[in-house]
Amino acid sequence: MPSVSTQITWIVVGYAALVAVLAVTAAARGTERPRWLDQMAWMLELLVVVRALVGLGPLLGGDRPESTSTYVGYLVASVCVLPIAMRSVQDDRATWSAAVVAVAAVAVGVVAVRLQMTA
Amino acid sequence: MSDERRSGPHQVLLALYALFTLAAGARSLVQLTTRYDDAPVAYWLSLAAAVTYALGWYAIRQASAGRTGFASVMLWVELAGVAGVGTLSLVVRDWFPDASVWSDYGIGYGFVPAVLPVAGLLWLRHRKLAALANN
Repeated sequence: MPSVSTQITWIVVGYAALVAVLAVTAAARGTERPRWLDQMAWMLELLVVVRALVGLGPLLGGDRPESTSTYVGYLVASVCVLPIAMRSVQDDRATWSAAVVAVAAVAVGVVAVRLQMTA
Repeated sequence: MSDERRSGPHQVLLALYALFTLAAGARSLVQLTTRYDDAPVAYWLSLAAAVTYALGWYAIRQASAGRTGFASVMLWVELAGVAGVGTLSLVVRDWFPDASVWSDYGIGYGFVPAVLPVAGLLWLRHRKLAALANN
């Protein structure tokens, strides 16, 4: 059975992909960015924070990652990307703002995979 | 006009440029400081890529506000960088014992680095044509 961190990573990746697809769909419809998309993005952030907290384990325990600085970089990036992206479109609910959410969601998914690979 | 300036495809470009500035910058700094001797040329080129993305971000922001001059130069510089480093990485393998951001035309990032400047230039062209039509 895969470790807890691996399982959470897959949940993060799957959910990030879902958010990205829905964000692209919302953008393609050409309407205002829906509120539920924001809520889904913040749910993703919550998942990422849980993954990051679990990810602190290898840093504190004896089984340290091969490149600690790379690992810490991915750890910090994983939790920062979404808040920064959501902040940048805070007052802007126009169509294209949903595409920004899509970019951020894909980035979070990729960072989650890289984090897992460097652990 | 101001609405068009705020919202549009350039927001996606800006998000991607910010992301790549962060990714390339952090990557090159970690590699330059922790394993410089492994592949100094590749790592310095990664830092150059990071600087290019930061300047590209600024250029697109300026262009979205109507000042397209810097972007018309910067996006071509970026395209030349991706094409140049990509080709170099295939021809002079010895300089790249470890990958750089633009190695093999950005294969490590799903070729997004090769697509970005092209997408930027297309957007810029569209923007200039729209500005012409308005006048």
